[in-house]
Amino acid sequence: MILQRIFALVLLAVCAALAVMAWPYQAAFSYEPVGPRAYPLLMLGLMSLGLLYLAIRPTPIVRKDDEPELDRETLTKIAACIGLLLVFAATFESLGFILSAILAGVPMARLYGGRWLHSVVVVVGMSVFLYWLFDRVMDVPLPLGLLSVLEN
Amino acid sequence: MDTLSYLGQGFGVALSPYNLVTALSGTLIGTVVGLLPGLGPINGVALLIPIAFALGLPPESALILLAAVYLGCEYGGRISSILLNIPGEASTVMTTLDGYPMARQGLAGVALSLSAWSSFIGAFIATCGMVLFAPLLAKWAIAFGPAEYFVLMVFAIVALGGMAGDKPLKTFIAALIGLFLSAVGIDANSGVYRFTGDSVHLADGIQFVVLVLGLFSVSEILLLLEKTHHGHQAIKATGRMLFNLKEAASVFVVNIRCGLLGFIMGVLPGAGATLASAVAYMTEKRIAGTSGHFGKGDARGLAAPETAIGASCCGALVPMLTLGVPGSGTTAVMIGALTLYNITPGPLLFEQQPDIVWGLIASLFIANIMLVILNIPMIRIFTRILAVPNWALVPVIAIITAIGVYAVHATTFDLFLMVGIGIMGYILRKLDFPLSPILLGFILGGLMEQNLRRALSISNGELGILWSSPISMGVWALVAMMLALPLLRIWRKRSQQRRAMADA
Repeated sequence: MILQRIFALVLLAVCAALAVMAWPYQAAFSYEPVGPRAYPLLMLGLMSLGLLYLAIRPTPIVRKDDEPELDRETLTKIAACIGLLLVFAATFESLGFILSAILAGVPMARLYGGRWLHSVVVVVGMSVFLYWLFDRVMDVPLPLGLLSVLEN
Repeated sequence: MDTLSYLGQGFGVALSPYNLVTALSGTLIGTVVGLLPGLGPINGVALLIPIAFALGLPPESALILLAAVYLGCEYGGRISSILLNIPGEASTVMTTLDGYPMARQGLAGVALSLSAWSSFIGAFIATCGMVLFAPLLAKWAIAFGPAEYFVLMVFAIVALGGMAGDKPLKTFIAALIGLFLSAVGIDANSGVYRFTGDSVHLADGIQFVVLVLGLFSVSEILLLLEKTHHGHQAIKATGRMLFNLKEAASVFVVNIRCGLLGFIMGVLPGAGATLASAVAYMTEKRIAGTSGHFGKGDARGLAAPETAIGASCCGALVPMLTLGVPGSGTTAVMIGALTLYNITPGPLLFEQQPDIVWGLIASLFIANIMLVILNIPMIRIFTRILAVPNWALVPVIAIITAIGVYAVHATTFDLFLMVGIGIMGYILRKLDFPLSPILLGFILGGLMEQNLRRALSISNGELGILWSSPISMGVWALVAMMLALPLLRIWRKRSQQRRAMADA
């Protein structure tokens, strides 16, 4: 309940900030009666109304049976997973696809309960295979990064 | 008569060896994707968009591929629900009710093949319905002006909340988030940069693939983290693999009834497979009365939701192709794919590019037949895929998702954006918000704003144009009805509670 109220209020604040941001949007010269400002403001206004109602009367969250309570351990894991995804994104171009996939993928496999050896074998194998599959076979260009020295 | 000759032409397109191979690989990929936990039709189709584009497939083949993946995913979802009792997605919840008990009675192969058969009949009925009604609807839709389109899109959004039932307010908020997000980027009419924060990367808006993969794949990866400790044993599919004639005959009437029902539910925006399968199951349970053993492995209880899902999937393509207004998350993704190819779905598509439309319809027939045939020899292999543990699966999903996002623009900004959207999606999911309305809103948002502005330009700012024609009046009436529906449901629930209180 309380989480939902906080969420609704935070999103409400975001809406307000976005509305302030949208206020000066005006076409320099225009041939049509509706400018670029009206539609986003309309959407933000409707959303705010909905959020306001939600903040006042939150609806109960139905928890499924197989969904465990969020404890500290799970939350740390989720934070770690988000961190790994960010590392993956940050090193994607500089290290190259294969290395960054290994860097982020092996700890991620560990996070989901894999053994060290298994995780390393699967992730290294899959990153090389996927690089070959996408970059070489399917023509989706992926960065090689540091490994580009090996080429030629 | 025209329709038939067009359909023949469509089969000509779909039966070319190249497209047959495309459809076959599409159904295979789709089935595997649908099998894996955390990947559903929406992710499957979204992941393939950049790849289909990179492969340089011609538009009709790309569309056939995506449709085949869509059907394959729906099919794959049922394997895990029958053998593991874990519904891959919301629409297959009803399948587990009777499918899993059947599998435990040693009829796993029969249950799987019967479900494939049911879904085939459902899809067949719906495809016939599509052949009959789609051209009529398309002809009628030409009479739609910008004002009518705007109202129609309002209806599609409102119907989402009205049909979804239990949480209309959250559905509306989610849809509005999507509608708003579509406004990010440069405004096509005036050239004003909106909500970009002076970032070059946001100038042409949030990429559709980034939004989809962030919302669905990344948030799913985070959700899977909560459930690392469950060891489910898949039931071995042994014995008879194929249902016999008696079993097929016993569910045939159910097939026909639920096929028609599923088609109608599929065409309506917002209803979709989840609702169709639930309604079908409940209806059949009531019709069977005491003669059935629903919930304990009744073949009818398996056939009913499966037929309805198969039919509603194909039915959902009708509003997408004829009006350009998607009714479900997956069809929204397909519209996103079409716009990549510069194809605008809508009434004119039937006249200008009949090859694409009818090729797609014909390939739906073919993909369905392929699924039934594939199912029998492949069940054993598919069940083995179910045994892949999460620790091996999740990193691979993450890597493939990143490839899909990177393939669109080749910038790391999109990767960060995807992670951000994923976190947002995870929070929304934890708070019980449905995610597919965001997607639908995002696709409809751009069209909605354009049509609204065009309509008001025609009338020179007069708001009256929005309800001046009989068509728009009719659609507004439907909108009002859809808005009243959740209120009515709440009111009925309350009065029921009051009665229960009085009885006690």
